[in-house]
Amino acid sequence: MLAESLYIDWNNSFEVLNKAFDTDLFVLIIGPKGTGKTTLVREFAAKKDKKLESVNFSLRTRESHLVGSKTLESGSIGFEQGILVKSMKEDSILYLDEINAAEADVLLRLDEALDDRRQLVLKESSGELIQASKGWFVIATINPLTHVGTKELPPQILSRFPVRIRLEYPPEEIELQIIKKYISGSHDKELLQAIKLANILRQAASVEELYYSPSLRETIAFGKILDSGVKPRHAAEIIFANIYSQWGNVEYQKVNDIITSMFGN
Amino acid sequence: MQSLHFKNDTLLEIATFLVRRWSEKQKVIVGIVDQQEIQTKLKENKVIMFPLDHFYGTDFQKYRQFRTALWYESMRLKHSNKILSNDHAFGFLLNTLETRRIENRGRREWRGMDEEIIFYYGFAWLYRPLLNSLYGKSRIVEGFFQYFLLGDIKGEVTPSAFKKIKKAAEIANEAVKQAVDNNFGTDWLEKKVSEIIKILEIDPLLTIPISIPKISSGIAVSDNDFIKTIGKITKFHESDFGELNPKRIAEGKSVIEEFKVLLQETKKNENRGLSTESIGISIPSSTNVDETRIYDEDLISNLKAKFKEWKTGWREQHVNTGEEFDEETYMEGSHKPFFTDQKISIKTRIVILLDHSSSIANEELQYKKATLALCEVLSFLKVKFSVYAFNTEQKQVTCWLVKPENIKWNNLAAKRLAQIKANGGTPLAEVYSIMFSGLRSKKPDIFLTLTDGEPSDPDAVRSMVTTFKLLGIRMVAIGVGPDTASATIIANNLKRLGYENTLAVSRLNDIPNRVLNVLGRN
Repeated sequence: MLAESLYIDWNNSFEVLNKAFDTDLFVLIIGPKGTGKTTLVREFAAKKDKKLESVNFSLRTRESHLVGSKTLESGSIGFEQGILVKSMKEDSILYLDEINAAEADVLLRLDEALDDRRQLVLKESSGELIQASKGWFVIATINPLTHVGTKELPPQILSRFPVRIRLEYPPEEIELQIIKKYISGSHDKELLQAIKLANILRQAASVEELYYSPSLRETIAFGKILDSGVKPRHAAEIIFANIYSQWGNVEYQKVNDIITSMFGN
Repeated sequence: MQSLHFKNDTLLEIATFLVRRWSEKQKVIVGIVDQQEIQTKLKENKVIMFPLDHFYGTDFQKYRQFRTALWYESMRLKHSNKILSNDHAFGFLLNTLETRRIENRGRREWRGMDEEIIFYYGFAWLYRPLLNSLYGKSRIVEGFFQYFLLGDIKGEVTPSAFKKIKKAAEIANEAVKQAVDNNFGTDWLEKKVSEIIKILEIDPLLTIPISIPKISSGIAVSDNDFIKTIGKITKFHESDFGELNPKRIAEGKSVIEEFKVLLQETKKNENRGLSTESIGISIPSSTNVDETRIYDEDLISNLKAKFKEWKTGWREQHVNTGEEFDEETYMEGSHKPFFTDQKISIKTRIVILLDHSSSIANEELQYKKATLALCEVLSFLKVKFSVYAFNTEQKQVTCWLVKPENIKWNNLAAKRLAQIKANGGTPLAEVYSIMFSGLRSKKPDIFLTLTDGEPSDPDAVRSMVTTFKLLGIRMVAIGVGPDTASATIIANNLKRLGYENTLAVSRLNDIPNRVLNVLGRN
């Protein structure tokens, strides 16, 4: 319920998701971190009144997490279903977060379930055939390739998600509205400055003049810290500047100087 | 000369970053050139500053003026569509009016600049010329500048001239206010300049001398005097800037940290002995160079995507023993059921020498784009590398240091690469011998030479290659040719010179790939 009230659908993503859902086409959401991809999916599932099964992919995600694995209990061999099998059977929405962080063998297994037949042969459990229920729906997200740990998705997997939604950072006004949903105080002027600052840093990161690009999470954090009584200049330093010191003094100082010229001392 | 240049490196890096963010133009180039005036070229997206020592006061005060001047130029880049020359009255007056307009526009977003602007005005007041020291009509123009921007005039003018100045300043203030309130741009303000010229009764083409202070820039002003001056400026601008504390402005605590970083970095560079790396090796020192033309963003991002796995740093591997057991692999009957993450890192230290002889002149730009892309990727993969280049200038071979190993690759290194002109022959042995003493102490793992032709001194090269090999350095050469056949011929010739590994490249964009593959094999 909370997620529902937090998402602002500024680029009509719901409309596209609805259409894709009605036509049984799986969806891929592409966008940098912290642009609200997960919030969007969560709220969509709530709106559809469907259960949401999520996997957050990483190097460590294995086939068994998706499909399931054999168990040995009191001398008898059983099988514990993985999240993919569960969602196929239970008619829920499967959310594959950061799918491009997955290893090739995991993707292969996914590919099997995602093709038009929507079925999976459980070689792990006596070759049982799992057929997805009619309302089974899959949404995946990928981060742009510039993110560490991400790989290019193979074309056959990409083609399983013919509907693609691009989710960028929202326009300033929308970002302000989003932040305001998380805070109680009224600091519009300072928040707008923080959003401008975040946008400047995002722009610099996109041309690789900085190593890190702040997300919506950071601008929201800025609002929360302001709420707790920290001065804007200090809040900007804590949230936006300090992170850059890991790449050396000069990097940190570049960002800090932009903050100084924006907020003063 | 060289050590001064490297001192400017961090300054230039920070300056370029700031101008690009302040002006919101990502491709602006900043240069530091020993000239009399700061210049911004809108069409070329270029800001040319003069070095710090041309400003006044202590080192810190000089830096603050440099930074504020940079901010003004960024605002011009963002909000002006015309910058005229300051050497005639019309241009000088338009630029003066624009200064106030863009300052007003800029302060809406950059509220933290207020104190620095007042500080800047403080120094402007101290170092503008006394009006009685100026001759002819330019005196009234300078008077207008001082009265309009600083609120008063220095020295004396006749009562009638003062009346004109006051009237012109009133008109100018009104015009700037209207322009700011209604978001009018440079063209609108330009129309008002004739009105001011009429009031001042001057010729629009009147020559305006560059303002040079009568006090030598080395003399520092006493703190109290300076605070008093700032107090005066603060009063004048109070309606605009609100109440400000002159003492705080004079101290400038908000930018002191940044200045400290500059000092530290300069010191670091000095400790690294950059200025005298090796006798015979030069450092390209011009900063007024457009390095953006040798950036091929597509090539760079393609390469980065391609070699991404090297960057992620970790690869999962199955092993015989370990702490993390992978039941899936075990059930599949593998003998290595444990998994572990293995760090992928390229520990190889590489020295790259780029041939800039005249035979690449036709394709110089493409060659530079490819080699720059290579450096970008090497830096992205955190490989330890240094880059040298050679060409012939005034009949003498010059070996240039583009990037030393201990300084990170950035747009300043790109600037150095961009300014090396392709010229002359390929006297490789001579270049090798210039580099020998430096490399003997540093002992890189690989010494890679990129060349597009046969060296003019093959026997000497063979002996130098052997010498390097005896030091334990792996000698690799890449022959660059216009087509596959000639590239192969060049590579074959190079092979006879004793290199351990020779490769041929006919498409310049393949250079980075080839080099990275050499590294990957190591």
